[in-house]
Amino acid sequence: MSDEDVQVIKPPNTLSAKVSKGGPGAVDLEAIERAEAVIAGMADNYLEWVEEDLVKLQKSYDGLIGDRDNAKERMETIFGIAHDMKGQGGSFNYDLMTILGNDLCRFIEDKETASDVDVEVIGLYVSAMKVVIAQRMEGDGGAAGTEVLNGLAAVVEKLTR
Amino acid sequence: MADLDLEQVAVLIVEDNLHFRTLIRTILQALGFEDIEEARDGAEALEVLSSFEADLAIVDWKMDGVDGLECVRRIRSEPVEVTKFLPIIMITGYTEESLAKQARDAGVNDFLGKPISAKSLMSRIVSVLEDDRPFIKSEDFFGPDRRRKDGEFDGEDRRVKRGKEVSPNGDAS
Repeated sequence: MSDEDVQVIKPPNTLSAKVSKGGPGAVDLEAIERAEAVIAGMADNYLEWVEEDLVKLQKSYDGLIGDRDNAKERMETIFGIAHDMKGQGGSFNYDLMTILGNDLCRFIEDKETASDVDVEVIGLYVSAMKVVIAQRMEGDGGAAGTEVLNGLAAVVEKLTR
Repeated sequence: MADLDLEQVAVLIVEDNLHFRTLIRTILQALGFEDIEEARDGAEALEVLSSFEADLAIVDWKMDGVDGLECVRRIRSEPVEVTKFLPIIMITGYTEESLAKQARDAGVNDFLGKPISAKSLMSRIVSVLEDDRPFIKSEDFFGPDRRRKDGEFDGEDRRVKRGKEVSPNGDAS
């Protein structure tokens, strides 16, 4: 295909055609607030899901400790679990899980091997995430949440300096 | 975004994580969507689309199996018109601009970072509803015009003099 063949195509807009305005089921700001309330009502589901994820995370971390020769693959597994936890936390008002999940992912994403310090730091993130859930630190977690984040950052800084 | 009735809109959720699928489905149902199908990766999405006429797809980026980017590329390569023009919102935990560019280059209509909320998801759906950008077909791209209204596009502009507007079936108009 040459430059002359670049085409600008008007697509059929089937989506707009199916959306009507008004009516009893219409979405307005109140409907969005109701939907947000439905999500808030799923808090118990989230806690169940995240407990499962924490078990998987710990198991994967134990796997890394016992199989350092395959650290890259082991950390990829940890990354995948942490990435999912990062994505879910904020939706259920567990913003600290999103922050910690993101920080853990950033820490391991480019690593090809795992040093003793790396393994220790990953373990600290796993522990911190457990604390957030065990203590039900919703939102920013208040003073305790700040303490967890600052304490973790200080230790990681010291270990990796 | 006031007063939109969405119950006739068919939505496909493509997400490998059961919890995310449940969350997205729950939000969509709470917003009034009734016709919802699910797929666990890009390959399954194409299978579902062969018998489910979706009006909108919500696709996760990072999936085991065929991931979100490849899923979008395959949808845009479909011979079936309804499928290849399907509006697609990509949901992802990655929010770096370079990755957003990859998503646009694959042909997504819009992009939503995790964590999601009812408000953020609805905002993107409305954005896609109001999206009147044409599709561009070139040697290496098929998808919604990557130049948004703010004019952001860093590729070579080959359409100013040479582009021609055609209808969905390929006829010049």
